[in-house]
Amino acid sequence: MANRPIKFRILELCNSGKWNYEIVEQIQKEYNMHGDFQRDSINFDIIELASGGMLEDIETKVDEEGIYKKGFLLHKYALTEFGKVRAADACLMYV
Amino acid sequence: MDLQSLKKQEHQRRIKYGFMWALFCAVLWGLWYLPGTAVWVLNPFDQMYGEVAASSGDGMALVIVAVLITAFNAATVILALGVWNGVLGKFGEMKRTLKEFHPCSKWFFLASIFGGPMAILGSFIAMGFVGGAFAAVAALMYPVVGAILASKWYGEKVTKRAFVGIIVIILGGITIFGGGVITEIASGNVLWVGYLGGLMAATGWGIEGAIAGKGLDIAEPDVGLTLRFIGEGIIWWIIAIPLLAIIGFPMIKYALLAFEPLTMLVLVFAGITFGFCYVAWYKSFPLIGVGRGQGIGNLYGLFAVIFIFLFFGDVPSWTILVGGFLCLAGSTIMFSEDTGEMESLRGD
Repeated sequence: MANRPIKFRILELCNSGKWNYEIVEQIQKEYNMHGDFQRDSINFDIIELASGGMLEDIETKVDEEGIYKKGFLLHKYALTEFGKVRAADACLMYV
Repeated sequence: MDLQSLKKQEHQRRIKYGFMWALFCAVLWGLWYLPGTAVWVLNPFDQMYGEVAASSGDGMALVIVAVLITAFNAATVILALGVWNGVLGKFGEMKRTLKEFHPCSKWFFLASIFGGPMAILGSFIAMGFVGGAFAAVAALMYPVVGAILASKWYGEKVTKRAFVGIIVIILGGITIFGGGVITEIASGNVLWVGYLGGLMAATGWGIEGAIAGKGLDIAEPDVGLTLRFIGEGIIWWIIAIPLLAIIGFPMIKYALLAFEPLTMLVLVFAGITFGFCYVAWYKSFPLIGVGRGQGIGNLYGLFAVIFIFLFFGDVPSWTILVGGFLCLAGSTIMFSEDTGEMESLRGD
């Protein structure tokens, strides 16, 4: 683990649908990244992947308990068809 | 607050950040014209120009000196980005990305060919053989190339409104530099190489944006950008400069003479402004798309004129005011677009 670019790993994790705070937590653990800045930077990677059309949010809820950031939205992401194509190109796991 | 309005708010925040980054890019790009212009009159570049011009003519001298200046520019940009990535703690990610040549880093190296030797050198060639104003106008066309490529190649959405905004900003740019272009062309004896240089600038930067967008899909922008400049550094320092030196141009001699405090200071300033203009440029692409990012980035023309006025005291003429107004109008058209259109940047 943790030997491929972070966005590759995010795509892999989203294969079956995952909440953003779960992804962030797992990446932080795998890549040994600590602190709020790194946490936000990983979340920003997820947002970039979503706006690039590779992830779509399949479920949204308000973070009432402050799992990630209280009062903000939590998103559950899954790979889109386009995301699968790009992931296949990058991660080779669908080939 | 309910889910829908929170969603909308989050989305608007994303778009706002995207435009903010693109605007930063324009300001820094405009600022870069200060060291970019000043460095030409500093030694050793001034001396080098004289020496090459004496044997090979003015046009050739300009291109040769441009290669050395661009090479130093790339080097100081790599330095600035190195510090930036160090502060952000991204060296690990850089190593990981570099290793993924097929899906990732090849796009950045490809982008460096189009952005470096093609666009930057092209715009210097346009400056040398036609004139500075023509070069600036030619470069303004690049968002059209970028937007069309991004939409045809990987289906990036460019709304009609965004396209109108891009066109209005370009018209503004043409108005800003238009008078100069007419004077330059009317002065006669323009070599076709100059126009080719202009074409290289417009298509080079446009293609760079589209290619970079492809690589950025699955990479970190800060990392991708640094790889792109390392690619450009290799092209200049390992390929172009040794090649020109072998042909007989005094590249090495003047490269070694460049380590003077004032020259270095100006080059570092150029590296910082250019480097961070690119950071902002690449960061805006995933948020608002290549077309919009480049369109707003085009405001550099306006900022360059403002900064050159503030620092060098060159008084702008009325055409610049009209052009500036068009630039602002064009960006307002884009800023004020209903962001619901931008839910996803890809798709039908």
